[in-house]
Amino acid sequence: MLSTSSIYILFFTTGVTIGFGHCIGMCGPIVLSLSLNLKGAPSVWPHLFYNSGRTLTYGLLGAIAGGMASFTRFAESIDGLQKGVMVAAGVIIILMGLGMTGWVRTSVIFRAAPPVGAFLTRIFKQLLQEKKHPLMYLPLGLLLGLLPCGPVYTALLAAARSGMEADTTLGGVLSGAGLMLCFGLGTIPALFLVSRLTDLRWLRHREKIYQVGAVLMMVIGLYFIWQGLQY
Amino acid sequence: MSSGRTNDARRANDSRRRNFVRSTIKEPSMKSRSFNFSLFGMKIFFLGLLVFSAFQTGVSSATEVNVDCDIQSGGCQKQINDRTVHLEISPKPVKAMKDLTFQVKISGDSLLEAPFVDLGMPGMKMGPNRVILKKNDTATYEGQGVIVRCKSGKTIWQATVTLPDIGSVVFTFDVIY
Repeated sequence: MLSTSSIYILFFTTGVTIGFGHCIGMCGPIVLSLSLNLKGAPSVWPHLFYNSGRTLTYGLLGAIAGGMASFTRFAESIDGLQKGVMVAAGVIIILMGLGMTGWVRTSVIFRAAPPVGAFLTRIFKQLLQEKKHPLMYLPLGLLLGLLPCGPVYTALLAAARSGMEADTTLGGVLSGAGLMLCFGLGTIPALFLVSRLTDLRWLRHREKIYQVGAVLMMVIGLYFIWQGLQY
Repeated sequence: MSSGRTNDARRANDSRRRNFVRSTIKEPSMKSRSFNFSLFGMKIFFLGLLVFSAFQTGVSSATEVNVDCDIQSGGCQKQINDRTVHLEISPKPVKAMKDLTFQVKISGDSLLEAPFVDLGMPGMKMGPNRVILKKNDTATYEGQGVIVRCKSGKTIWQATVTLPDIGSVVFTFDVIY
């Protein structure tokens, strides 16, 4: 039987290996889109905020799964939400791409978009503007942490099992949250490395790359929407 | 006379200072250039590695994997050393994200340790997902597990049944999403 601390270490190391073995391939396009969207602005803080948001969402999901002590019941309850997030992620990436091309003005995009609430609109506007506050990547990370992902499901399965073994519901909530936070923290190095590598500030003439990148982002966004509708 | 000497000394001092400044500026700039170059090289190397790994993920998931077990129609069996391992998953149809019962029957003498099943996808890291089996009778072991869903849409999964101290056998099958 594993001790409590070694389970957390195991989840962290699982996160690290999954990060390099799975997330780079599956979530790399999102990180690439975020890097391109920064258009040469310092990328360390935005990506740290994005990854923190993602990890916090994993922690929250772990807490719920641990509290419910049933993975399948929990997965069923968030199924529709995850589909919606996948489509939303696609829309966000397309909007960021559109904002980067300069073909459509941000104000026009918001005039055409349905009202999504003042807070969300402010976040969107910030993400599409030339100068963005790094903190705006935190809510984006919180949202995109909900994206359906096989290894996250596997980790949540273990979080739900830890909830089953816990003596109380609170114990299940805490152990589930702890395990998922450790898992999320473990996935950060790989995605952060991707963000550093896709930071193009060292290139002198990168405007053309941004134009190509913006089109690439729109393709990625469409792929996400398609996947969300198929899911 | 003395002012001329002072001027010469000042000029010499100035040129010494200029040389010093030039040398101190030149050296770090060369260093930074070589640093930039190595940084550039490193970035290119890691970007290549990134593209390669992303490509590998895509390729490995796209590679045709032979399904050797029709789990939707019934159980499957395989041989390991002189023992037959029979795997059955229920309820049918076997769906992802559902509670499933894994049953393993092993021929021959009773095992010293219970076998276990590891679930995964061929060519895709999905994280450790082990089904712990408990003895039902002398040759049958049973446990509960879940096959999770992959965003890629690939439905081929593998169940690796491990018999401690004997070895393991892999069953590849199709799951319904």
